Amino acid sequence: MTESSQPLKLIIDGQPVPFVKGDSVLVAMLRNQHHPTGGGCLCLGGDCPHCLATIDGVAYVRTCQVPARPGCVVACTHHAHAVPALPQTHHVEPTTNARHQHADVVVIGQGKSGLAAAELARTAGQTVVTLDAAQGQDVIGIYPGAQVVARTTQGMLIVHVRQEIIVATGAAELHPVALGNSLAGLMTARAAQQLQAAGLSLGRIVVINDANRLVRFEGESNVTAVVVRDDQGLEQHVGCDTAVIDLGTTPRNMLHRMAAGLPGVRVSVVGDAATNSDVPNCPAHGLVCHCSQVGVADLQSVWDRGFHELELVKRASLAGTGTCQGGVCLPYVRSFLANKGGTLQPAFTARPLARPITMGEVAAGGHHHVTLRTPLDGVHRAAHAHMERAGGWWRPWNYGDWQAEYWAVREAVSIMDVSTLGKMLISGPDALTLLDRLYPTKVSTIKTGMSRYVLLLDEKGYVLDDGLISKISDTRYTLTFTSGGATTAELWVRDWAESWGLNVRILNQTMSLGAINVTGPLAKELLARAGLEKPPEFLSHVEAHVAGIPCRIFRLSFTGELSYELHHAAVNAPVLWRTLLDLGKSLNIRPHGLEALLKLRLEKGHIIVGQDTDFDSTPRRIHHEWAVKLDKPDFVGKHAVLRTNKVSLDKILCGLSMEGPPPIEGANLTVDGNYAGYVTSATWSPILGKTVMLAWLKLSNDLAPDRVMIDGRPAQRTETPFYDKEGARAKA
Amino acid sequence: MPKLDRFPLTRIVSTPALLDGIQTSTTAIVMRTAPDELFWLGSPAAPVINDPHAIIEHDTSFVGTWLSTQAATAWVSANCEWQLPTTRPVFAQGEVAGLPVKLWIEPRRMLVLVQQPFAADLGERLQ
Repeated sequence: MTESSQPLKLIIDGQPVPFVKGDSVLVAMLRNQHHPTGGGCLCLGGDCPHCLATIDGVAYVRTCQVPARPGCVVACTHHAHAVPALPQTHHVEPTTNARHQHADVVVIGQGKSGLAAAELARTAGQTVVTLDAAQGQDVIGIYPGAQVVARTTQGMLIVHVRQEIIVATGAAELHPVALGNSLAGLMTARAAQQLQAAGLSLGRIVVINDANRLVRFEGESNVTAVVVRDDQGLEQHVGCDTAVIDLGTTPRNMLHRMAAGLPGVRVSVVGDAATNSDVPNCPAHGLVCHCSQVGVADLQSVWDRGFHELELVKRASLAGTGTCQGGVCLPYVRSFLANKGGTLQPAFTARPLARPITMGEVAAGGHHHVTLRTPLDGVHRAAHAHMERAGGWWRPWNYGDWQAEYWAVREAVSIMDVSTLGKMLISGPDALTLLDRLYPTKVSTIKTGMSRYVLLLDEKGYVLDDGLISKISDTRYTLTFTSGGATTAELWVRDWAESWGLNVRILNQTMSLGAINVTGPLAKELLARAGLEKPPEFLSHVEAHVAGIPCRIFRLSFTGELSYELHHAAVNAPVLWRTLLDLGKSLNIRPHGLEALLKLRLEKGHIIVGQDTDFDSTPRRIHHEWAVKLDKPDFVGKHAVLRTNKVSLDKILCGLSMEGPPPIEGANLTVDGNYAGYVTSATWSPILGKTVMLAWLKLSNDLAPDRVMIDGRPAQRTETPFYDKEGARAKA
Repeated sequence: MPKLDRFPLTRIVSTPALLDGIQTSTTAIVMRTAPDELFWLGSPAAPVINDPHAIIEHDTSFVGTWLSTQAATAWVSANCEWQLPTTRPVFAQGEVAGLPVKLWIEPRRMLVLVQQPFAADLGERLQ
């Protein structure tokens, strides 16, 4: 026997069984006396849940829609509509591709009506995409956009539709609802035709074409007889091997219902899917919804409990919530409710998904949200930094020894990658006007070459962000923002500039500039070694070369020590970083990460907007009234600040200190057992030998308590900064 | 994974009217990224603009790669929800593969650019 003449085989429940070329998996199973679910009326049209099985590890697959192929592994995990077990071992979902297509018109279904509709659209000069389940393009959802999403043999296809969605999905055959309708051997007329065409013997056949005469199906597991009522009303037993159900059709309009009403696109339905066929007679007995195993008696129970509206009956009974989404049961549930209530209710809402899909198919084409990388990202990783996500960026948490990093800042010199800071350049004749209206500080009093710490407020007077304004010339300024707030701040600045019609140019330099903070008592010495002879004074800035690299150098301090922030072209960041580390070796330099920085800044009582502030933090509540000049003519948030200043203060952000280890951030404060606020930042201070914190504290009669309890331990209200109160070290 | 190269360019931020008046070049790639911003990539150098307040920045933070039409079509088809313009050459920008990209599309190839913070992810998502 040559290889090509070997019989084709697939594997069913561990056993190889032959199939014939052209078989679907279902036909191959029936050819070998296997019923995927053990019973129920088969349709071979993809409408019912009776042929579900697990194929190649994927559950809930309609075997009638999948061509059989050699080696295909089928497991009857849905027998008697059981729920298949979840994979017991680590399961790696294979990647599913996604493709996007754009078209004026999408036609779903390629029967006569669908073909005609597509041809008509093409003739009219429209671009058309056709989708047909019979060709392996199974539409699983229609979404606003409008997007028609189909599962195809090449992965997920997302069709972006500009003008019209035409549903031409035809009609499904009605299934029988009677006692015994879960037996094997029941099939629709179309299914019987297909099986006979495939060469399967159906044995003795009884055709049921009058639901009024159908009483029940009889048999153990396979149907052996159909009981019908004759003209005299007497029951007649008709022996059979196959009961062929020919009770008419119902429009297959789920996708039309799903798409109807989507904005920006026409939705039409043509052919048999557009027919308004009568619903079948009200069933008296039997299973109505096979997916959820809901019988007529269950519907009666739901009705008796007061659920009379179709959407509620669906939820109360679960009829229509299974894998076929009402494809089989909906006509009968509507019929039941019409019989009870006298009114035929419209079909229930159809929402994606129309078909079960895999997690891989759900994720197809999706990407995780990007965490940004600074120009020094590779340098940090090469130094084995422990990287963490913070403010939307990958940042070094530490380089293995946070304590050494901390003390390098306090006692020697250290550098930190602060490229994540928002950075913006503003230029133009109206630059000052823009900034003076935008910020609560008097920008007009900032001298060229000087910088100022500023709050950014929203219209409600709440703190939106903070940063630095630096004046380069009368018409040119740089701004900095927090790492996490930079994107919002850019939109904020641009929006106001446009709203006020100001003549300014704005450039976001956050990603084009790197930034390195050189900090510690020996920072000046390090920069001198790098060739900077005249570093800027406190809160001023200069343009100069550091280690041969052009920089704008800002003198400010977040750590509490002498600090210089070097802004430079991002491409130069690695060279500058390595050069500074080389030059600082004899100064015991080491880089520090966020872990050390959070301690350093908290010792100084510096806030982090977003961590220490809340959505309703006013300058007064965070003790930053000094940053708000209410004698300015106007600025964003001024009126709200004036209004809220008239209200008595109900809470403040304050400093606390305590002995022992720090509580978790977010820990509650209590006074006399009553809630009094919560901790926003807490750390053990190496230099102070105690825990220091920032916390929101409720006021009572305008007074803040001096002592609070945190996790059963006392804490003392303490003025900030906790360390170097006069700021002598930063201004040295 | 295609090798990503650095594409140094000049960013010009000025008034829309002045940017509209810039003579484009047949050799340089000129991308109008916003009404008030223009990217100039390649030679000759960007022209001098008659705006004392213009921001002219030599920007070295963009990285990217040229894709053949075939590779570009496959990548865009799998990762882009919006339809690319059909004229050539043409500039387009938006989210592709979850990244903010700038595209310069020529008849036989397409340049994909991102800023450096997205470079690693672009490399992964071009595979």
